[in-house]
Amino acid sequence: MKYETQKIAYNYFLIATLLFGLQVVFGLITGAKYVWDHDPLINILPFNVSREIHINLLVVWLLFGFMGGTYYLVPEESETEIYSPGLANFQLVLFALIGVTAIVGYIFRWSWGMPFLEQPTILKIGIVIVALIFLFNILMTMLKTRKWTVIQGVLLGGLVMLALLFLFGIFFMKNLTEQYYYWWWVIHLWVEGAWELVTGAIMAFVLLKLTGVERELVEKWLYVETGLVLFTGIVGTGHHYYWIGTPHYWLWVGGIFSALEPLPILFMVIDTLRDVREKKIEIENKTAVYWAIGCAVMHFFGAGVWGFAHTLPQINKWTHGTQITASHGHFAFFGAYAMLNLTVIYFAVPRIKGVKLVRNGLSLMALRTMTFSMILIALSLAVAGIVQVYLQRVLGMDYLTVQGFMKLWYAVFWASAWGFAIGAFMYIVDFFRLSSTTSARAQQ
Amino acid sequence: MKLSHAKAIFIWGTVLSSVIFLALTYDSQRSFSKRTHEEKLDEHVAAGKWVWQKYNCNDCHTILGIGGYYAPDVTKVMSYRDADWVRRFLKDPPAVWPAERKMPVLNLKDQEIEDVIAFLTWVNGIDTNNWPPKPLAVASAAAPNPGEEIFKTQGCSACHTVGGIGGKIGPDLTHVGSRRSKEWIEEQLINPKSHDPNSIMPSFAKLPEKDREELADYLSGLK
Ligand code: HEC
Ligand code: HEM
Ligand code: HEM
Ligand SMILES: [Fe+2]
Repeated sequence: MKYETQKIAYNYFLIATLLFGLQVVFGLITGAKYVWDHDPLINILPFNVSREIHINLLVVWLLFGFMGGTYYLVPEESETEIYSPGLANFQLVLFALIGVTAIVGYIFRWSWGMPFLEQPTILKIGIVIVALIFLFNILMTMLKTRKWTVIQGVLLGGLVMLALLFLFGIFFMKNLTEQYYYWWWVIHLWVEGAWELVTGAIMAFVLLKLTGVERELVEKWLYVETGLVLFTGIVGTGHHYYWIGTPHYWLWVGGIFSALEPLPILFMVIDTLRDVREKKIEIENKTAVYWAIGCAVMHFFGAGVWGFAHTLPQINKWTHGTQITASHGHFAFFGAYAMLNLTVIYFAVPRIKGVKLVRNGLSLMALRTMTFSMILIALSLAVAGIVQVYLQRVLGMDYLTVQGFMKLWYAVFWASAWGFAIGAFMYIVDFFRLSSTTSARAQQ
Repeated sequence: MKLSHAKAIFIWGTVLSSVIFLALTYDSQRSFSKRTHEEKLDEHVAAGKWVWQKYNCNDCHTILGIGGYYAPDVTKVMSYRDADWVRRFLKDPPAVWPAERKMPVLNLKDQEIEDVIAFLTWVNGIDTNNWPPKPLAVASAAAPNPGEEIFKTQGCSACHTVGGIGGKIGPDLTHVGSRRSKEWIEEQLINPKSHDPNSIMPSFAKLPEKDREELADYLSGLK
């Protein structure tokens, strides 16, 4: 760590870690409702409430992680301290308060009722304020020295895009088709657009620092990858416009563009592996490198392969809105974004704490456990989804009857989820161990 | 490749995709009115959409295929349930559909129920490019028995099993035709209490007579 204010990132990572743990707890509760039809919590915490909490915690902890990553990265790229540490801390507290209010509100049935965007409007306005403070602080920092590296530029572009797109999820529209049309501008253009820019930039930074490869090489690839992400991903939004009341041409346009989306993700894998192989310095922090490689590969399978599997309209017609979607949602979010944040945390926290991290056994155990369990989660939900598509959509059996036939796979899913929870627990323990290690007791 | 080439890929890729996307967005936006029958989107439908959101139905049910996967998709629900059934169901879901996996009692006000039915009726008319697809098995089979269809859409299988599929609250109907006549079954549908004063089976007296007859035809044929 070169700049004092990079420390701000730590509190963001801390909150991200806690919310991640809570997300997994609510995942287990939500999943149990599939395994046992009789729900003892039906009047206290029914499925819709535990699901909204689960997926909101997911998005919020990932955003905390991105913000932490940004606060760590920008001083080093701009070669200056953060413009206002006070604002950075205020923004953190405000965002955390809004998050807690939303979660408690859901339990009391205070909800706006669009998936992922359940936050009541007043809280959404609060989130916009948080975003404005954050962007202002980052921009002012960059303007102090005006070192427009490509990494910084792409990061800033992604963050601005992320904030602007959120505005399309705030307004109530009478027409459901129109509402969902713009809802996808948030959901899809986030995960297959803005977030790819943010995480692409952060990953480029981490790899640059870890492997010492030439900056020009890293930045060139960053441009190409994010350029292709946006080229395929923006029009690729059309893969959500097949069946929601939108014109028929989206089947062609959305199908073709979104089928190309895995390409830049494949480049990212090649890029990451090349950086590591052609390293210019001896890599000390092996832990972070393993996370980075794991992230690239899981990103490719979860988003690229699992996404491609159901993106063509001929297939999506049958799989749309089934457990196939849930399988992909878990795999992609974990591989692309959860693992990115864990990579950054294992890169930045040792530096913030002045610890020399080399090979951290518990962390790598957490990496293996979570990755392996997530693959099982994705596979079991995929099998459940295939059973569902065949019995319900092909044979025309009724919904609840089919759910009965999927029970076995829900059970496998839930058991795998416990494996995942154990991995997540190892990570959380390790995070706190790392946080409390002083440089004198440097970890092995 | 030079950095400037990479930068050009980034900029032109983004610009080109954005232009195409915005142009198609403009065109799609113009098509909504016709494809979704906006002339039928009155204030009841809009109010019903808010009911749908306020009670967060969407995190259990998908609509247009988007949402939670815990409960059936409701995009075309008004094609196979009549408004009266939905009204009774929304008042007290577990009573009308006593499956093990239950929908909670949401305590909707009567007006809210009417609005949400108006909303679902409007959604039912959206042109979804023929989604959800017709099941292949049904599409290829000869015309299905109309009574069997009504049996499905009226939710009889929540309580009754036919051929091993369905609920266990009421008796198995796989061979009901061998013990009950068509007239007896019609009577059971109009007034279940006529055969068993303590019956918990809901009355289907509100069904059109033709539907009841077709149901009874179908069931009395199950020997
Ligand atoms: C809430 C659960 C429930 C629903 C829904 C339901 N039934 Fe029943 N049904 C019962 C029960 C319980 C009985 C047993 C006798 C009684 O209690 O009346 C029964 C009895 C019957 C019988 C007589 C069977 C026999 O052998 O005596 C027939 C026929 C029947 N139901 C047909 C239907 C049809 C057709 C529908 C749909 C239109 C339907 N039921 C919906 C609960 C239900
Ligand atoms: C990191 C990137 C990605 C993430 C985090 C992600 C996540 C998700 C999530 C959560 C959903 C479900 C949304 C909902 O309806 O609730 C979804 C849907 C979908 N995704 Fe992705 N995705 C990613 C990348 C991709 C890619 C690259 C493709 C295609 C190649 C793709 C194809 C699809 C399709 C076709 C659907 C719609 C499924 C349906 O019809 O039900 N995704 N994605
Ligand atoms: C213990 C582990 C977990 C369990 C048991 C679990 C369970 C669930 C369940 C039951 C749902 C609702 C699906 C539905 O609507 O039918 C869900 C949704 C979701 N979860 Fe998890 N989850 C877990 C961990 C995770 C993790 C680690 C991530 C990402 C990093 C994640 C991301 C998501 C997403 C994106 C959705 C929405 C899916 C969609 O709309 O298609 N979950 N989860
Ligand atoms: Fe998408």
